[in-house]
Amino acid sequence: MTSKKSKLPLGERLKREWKRNAIVYIVLIPVIIHFIIFQVYPFLLSFYLTFMDWKVIGDPEFVGLKHWKYLLTDKLAWKAIWNTVMFSVYYIVPTMALGLVLALIINSGVKFAGFFKGIFFLPVVTSFVIVAGIWGWLFRGTEAGLINYLLSFIGIEPQLFLSNSSQALAVLAGLSIFKVAGTTMIYYFAGLQSIDRGLYEAARIDGASPLKIFWNITFPLLKPIHFYVAITTTIGSFQIFDSAYLLTGGGPSYATTTIVYYLYEQGFTSLNLSYASVLSYVLFSIILVISLVQRKYLGKDSNHY
Amino acid sequence: MVKKIITYIALFILGFCFLLPFAIMILGSFKDVQFAQLDPLFWIPDDPTMKNYIYIMRDGMFVRWILNSVIITVIPVATQMLFCAVLGYIFAKKQFIARETIFWIFMAVIMIPQQLLIIPKYIMFSDFGWINTYWALIVPELWGIMGVFLVRQFLQSIPNDLEEAAYIDGANDIQIFFKVILPLAVPVVATVGTFSFISNWNDLFQPLIYLTQEKMFPITLGLASMLGKEGNFGIEMAGSAVSFIPTFLIFLFFQRYFTEGIQMSGMK
Repeated sequence: MTSKKSKLPLGERLKREWKRNAIVYIVLIPVIIHFIIFQVYPFLLSFYLTFMDWKVIGDPEFVGLKHWKYLLTDKLAWKAIWNTVMFSVYYIVPTMALGLVLALIINSGVKFAGFFKGIFFLPVVTSFVIVAGIWGWLFRGTEAGLINYLLSFIGIEPQLFLSNSSQALAVLAGLSIFKVAGTTMIYYFAGLQSIDRGLYEAARIDGASPLKIFWNITFPLLKPIHFYVAITTTIGSFQIFDSAYLLTGGGPSYATTTIVYYLYEQGFTSLNLSYASVLSYVLFSIILVISLVQRKYLGKDSNHY
Repeated sequence: MVKKIITYIALFILGFCFLLPFAIMILGSFKDVQFAQLDPLFWIPDDPTMKNYIYIMRDGMFVRWILNSVIITVIPVATQMLFCAVLGYIFAKKQFIARETIFWIFMAVIMIPQQLLIIPKYIMFSDFGWINTYWALIVPELWGIMGVFLVRQFLQSIPNDLEEAAYIDGANDIQIFFKVILPLAVPVVATVGTFSFISNWNDLFQPLIYLTQEKMFPITLGLASMLGKEGNFGIEMAGSAVSFIPTFLIFLFFQRYFTEGIQMSGMK
């Protein structure tokens, strides 16, 4: 069949293909053009930008590796990378742990499980602006803040929170944990549901305690989920921006300047579009490495989700 | 028994913590602003008032922001649902030149963070004259790769017999798509729609870059500017509550699709 086809001249073959699938190509061609304009071209343009001096007004000028070299000496860029890594430290494990706890509770046969699942998932669909508005009020750095008010009951002095450079990043991470844990819960819930009930029964007959069952059966069998959630949470944490923009503006003294916040500030406050492109490639490289690790260790398993 | 009690206690404590911010938002929005600024329990209204809601509704900007959000959300949601359904079907069931290659090029692009594309897109949109217009937020969002992927996954699990039967009955491609495929794909297309709604309605980053005029702001950016300048908790919370209503309704009706969609796609 194929050999017979290939003997026809190319023009004839294309003609037949068009006749057979005209409607497919009528749909596909505009979509591919759209894809090239809004995805492929910007991707290439941003790489080109990193070698140019591109102010918003005037002609771009080729400067070679100038911006890349500047990156190496730019202390603020390294601070931003460091802050983002620290944010991940505050954020990844608690998000996973909270998601797992929520999933375990929902999955344990409690009443109104669906209702509570909805409550835990609600922050996921709520905009950062709303959550940040409330969060900023909860964590007001005076005695009037609700969190400080609660802390006063256990004898802790009022904390500055968002205006304390060693606390601000952790408070922002807390906001993100609250906002994202519902998603993690869904993954773990799906994982828990796929574990064979027979295993639990066998363990119970052998007299294993609930804690032992958890550590020896549930936790290890969730390994692919742990890995997957760890990867997606890490990627998410490197892209964090909204909460820093809304609550701290990158401060105090750059303590919450994350990679994306710095990129935003360089590109759209200082109008340094070329250098911001370099920073966007830093972000891209980090995410690419994380994704490749995922590919390597998860391979075909990743199709499960 | 002990285990059960502990589980319920944990459930209620966590449930309370997750609901508290929303309770603060709703209760705080009915609070008069003039006094008790320093009271941490300020959000509990002892004298509920509609003043804050009346204030934001009278302020012409707030209504405009909501309308802007509706425009830049509803159009992409509608087109995403249609285009992702059609493309998902094509990539799942049709045989054409370079089908797999095209699909995997699409998929590879998902790895590019949107923050990387924002600078070149800003330059492009400046050239197009799209800054401070709806175009910058609508046109790039007309369809989405993740949506195509979801629909494709879903349709691949459906046997070809149905389509073949329809072909034998003399139906053409368009009829088959609308009468056979689309009714089957309702759950997945609803998933695509709800995801698209939430991500467009809540997006802050792109409007922040492409819009500078206050009258073009969507509600997210409008609220963000209120956070900075009002300094008035009751009004902020009333604004948040109003902008939360559409999200909440979508969430209420489509929660099942959301959670299934997350399980299926590995999307955030």
